[in-house]
Amino acid sequence: MFAMRKIRWGKYIFLMLVAGFVLVPMFATVLGGFKSLGELRTNPFGLPDVWEFEYYAQVFADGSIWLLMKNSLIIAFFSVLLTLIIGTMTAFTFSHIKFAGYKYIYNYFLIGMMFPAAAAILPLFLKIRDLGLLDSLSGVVIPQVAFGLGFSILLFRSFFEQLPSELFDAARVDGCSYIKFYWHVILPLSTPILATVGVFVLVASWNNYLLPLLVLNTEQQYPWTLGIMQYRGEYGIEWNRILAYVTVTITPAIVFFLFAQKYIVEGLTGGAVKG
Amino acid sequence: MASVEFKHIEKIYPGNVHTVKDFNLKINDGEFIVFLGPSGCGKSTTLRMLAGLEDISGGEILINNKVVNDLEPIERDIAMVFQSYALYPHMSVYQNIAFALKLAGLSKSEIEEKVRPVADMLQLTPLLDRKPRALSGGQRQRVAMGRAMVRTPEVFLFDEPLSNLDAKLRNSMRTEIKTLHKKIKKTTIYVTHDQVEAMTLADRIVILRDGKVEQVGTPREIYHSPANKFVAGFIGSPAMNFIPVELAKDEGWHVDIAGQKLNLLGDVDDNQTDTKATLGIRPCDIHITPDLLTNPLVIKGTVENLELLGSTIQLTSRLGDSQITVEAPSSHMVNEDEVTNFYIDESRLHLFSDQTGLSMYKPNAVLE
Amino acid sequence: MSNEVTTIGKRSSTSSNQNVSRWFKKNNHGNRLLTLVLFLPPALLLFTIFVILPIGEAGYYSLFRWNGYGEPSQWVEFSNYVRLFKHGAFDTAVWNTFKIILISLVIQLPLALIIALSIYKKSWANSLFRLIFFLPYILAEVAAGLIWRFVFDGDYGVMARFTEALNTDTWYILADKNWAFVAILVVLVWKYFGFHMMIYIAALQGVPKDLIEASKLDGASRFQAIWYVKIPLIMSGITISIFFSILGALQTFDLIMPLTGGGPSNSTHTLVSYLYTFGITRMNVGFGSAVGVVLFICCVIFAFTYQSTIMKDKK
Repeated sequence: MFAMRKIRWGKYIFLMLVAGFVLVPMFATVLGGFKSLGELRTNPFGLPDVWEFEYYAQVFADGSIWLLMKNSLIIAFFSVLLTLIIGTMTAFTFSHIKFAGYKYIYNYFLIGMMFPAAAAILPLFLKIRDLGLLDSLSGVVIPQVAFGLGFSILLFRSFFEQLPSELFDAARVDGCSYIKFYWHVILPLSTPILATVGVFVLVASWNNYLLPLLVLNTEQQYPWTLGIMQYRGEYGIEWNRILAYVTVTITPAIVFFLFAQKYIVEGLTGGAVKG
Repeated sequence: MASVEFKHIEKIYPGNVHTVKDFNLKINDGEFIVFLGPSGCGKSTTLRMLAGLEDISGGEILINNKVVNDLEPIERDIAMVFQSYALYPHMSVYQNIAFALKLAGLSKSEIEEKVRPVADMLQLTPLLDRKPRALSGGQRQRVAMGRAMVRTPEVFLFDEPLSNLDAKLRNSMRTEIKTLHKKIKKTTIYVTHDQVEAMTLADRIVILRDGKVEQVGTPREIYHSPANKFVAGFIGSPAMNFIPVELAKDEGWHVDIAGQKLNLLGDVDDNQTDTKATLGIRPCDIHITPDLLTNPLVIKGTVENLELLGSTIQLTSRLGDSQITVEAPSSHMVNEDEVTNFYIDESRLHLFSDQTGLSMYKPNAVLE
Repeated sequence: MSNEVTTIGKRSSTSSNQNVSRWFKKNNHGNRLLTLVLFLPPALLLFTIFVILPIGEAGYYSLFRWNGYGEPSQWVEFSNYVRLFKHGAFDTAVWNTFKIILISLVIQLPLALIIALSIYKKSWANSLFRLIFFLPYILAEVAAGLIWRFVFDGDYGVMARFTEALNTDTWYILADKNWAFVAILVVLVWKYFGFHMMIYIAALQGVPKDLIEASKLDGASRFQAIWYVKIPLIMSGITISIFFSILGALQTFDLIMPLTGGGPSNSTHTLVSYLYTFGITRMNVGFGSAVGVVLFICCVIFAFTYQSTIMKDKK
């Protein structure tokens, strides 16, 4: 009994330590934005003695942050939308139309999933340039959708295949064509998997750095990931400003996470487990 | 109004799997036909070809004398009830029933006008707003039937509709289907592997095995005059006793069982050259008292095992090398290991050729 | 109409035109073929143009010296590759990538597994811990990188406390050639262990309770129950998490940029940050493509051998 209790205490101390390792940098970031540089130097992790609000205020001062967020949101929205539409359509051909040789095409998408996106980044850049998509949001959205397809088709197809086959028969007898079945039955029944894939694409797009870095040149088009690096470049080691900026930019993601936890965890790990 | 005709229907799946072989059948208007057979016999495939859910590899299917091979399911004027009910999980009961009408482009009020009476008839009215997952098995079954009925099709198809229900519910749903058919009198084709359903529901039963029709007939014909050994063994519970015998003729035809002679009074198919045959006797046609039998055949045997099943007893005995099962009213007194007389109703004997498996004997008085 | 169609099929001498239309009728039930023609090409085109073709082009371009304008004309055979393998910074990048893999396998995944085992059961406290541990994973790499850049800053943050306490000179760890990558490894573990933990938790929650109870009845200790029952049963989860962690390690980039940008003196590059610095920023299309091809080959060889050996019996 005593030994058990000891194990339990040991376990909680261990968990608290790891939680500290995870959380201290985050709290330091949030609080750091409220401190003067001098205080930040002497007291990086504790509560501020004097709460300074000007650094946070400055983040919003010129309004550019809203533009960054808006761009990120537009990119993410269209990436999610296109991935869901194109992904379900393609997966539907594999799960229900089952045309001759569909397995080869399916495997073609799956193999592509293993390709590292970064490996062909230069030819991809040239391609985007030659298609005239450079420095436009669609230049980020379209390749992003293409890279998410393998994964989403995999998840969609296995979900569609698990739907009872008699549902399709019943719908055919009721007068559904393939397209009507897709629209009236498959899509409404797929909300869980749509949420899973949607969240995955949304988070990946919101956090993406390399592709926007490659494609976008003008600040008007920047998503927040580029904006934050630029801000950091401007203010060098004025850490209080930078920390305030970081806090502001990561807040939407954290709030979203707290609200849609279940779907996010499923979206980000579900693919791994099911794949 | 609707007849259905199958002409030389074939189904061959890729890999040369021949599921249905030269299936021929003419179904009259208003008839209740049951396809009966063990799993994998091609009964569901045939039904699905009629529904338009499977390609037809060969032959023609006609509904009302019109070839429907290349028609869409919706153009064939059929409705189907599935084994798993196949209700749309995201739609309410009302929407499930109305879906086909909505696809057909009917207006809201027209749909309402058609759905209401069907829901009333099936006692679904209080459930119309529920989702399928909030329904019991029997209620789901009714929704599935309502979905079929609302379209007032010419032909109803049922694919093992009761096999997902528990035994009690199955009985009451069976009665309901029977009553409904009497009421609406539409041509119905019903697939099952359950012989009780087949016997109770069918006007005519089609027995299938390995993609071939073994026999078509009324439940009585199928039970009393099975065309071959397969049908004889498949129908009836407990199963018919089969005893290998030698067929011989002196004054008349007779067979020998374990050294005892049984005279055959009816007509033996004279074309048979084979003397090896199988005698078939249903357990209920072997009696342990001669009461009620006019001219019984008598055979001696030892009671090996005895089980009381309530109103009946079931006992096993041995005749030569074959074990036989006997079913008798439980009022009769017999004991295990006792040697007793068995009385056999000669008019209920069956005889099957070992070469062809076909029935080769017609008793004098066939009970129809 | 239908009568006509079926009799055509019966006649032996059918023209090819009729054959085509019959084939079409037979296969187009429910507009099957039209749906296919509408539904499949978008994905196929996008995927081919933006994922598959660039890989092939990378192979082709890697044989040229080219700045990306006009047509590639200066054929240099394999000299890009030769240059690459002679470049000390590339060696470091490969070695660093290897270190990431090593740390993932030796520290990150075991840590994730231990934590998963201690909090996989459903309770209020466990959900809170799960939430906390998963939090870093949803942060953008650039944001996480900046946070840790602050933590590691020699004048502020944890390193400042550290040197203060020891009363030594300020230590700019991210500018220290010998230690900068160690700091990066810490951030990597911080960022990604929660992801693997979640995979294990999902797998552990799928282990049937009666199996664990049965092992207890058989006299297994807590440790034995973990080692002989739980771990073998979540092996497929572990296999997959190893797969993802190695593929992820090979492609590490976003975290490097805000932390060190590959410096000091190219000591903290990974394969991708190396590709970015020496290929993209200088528009060395040929050279950059050669790096890409090496990266591609590493990933594909790993993925295929791993899938055909370790993951094979899981499918």
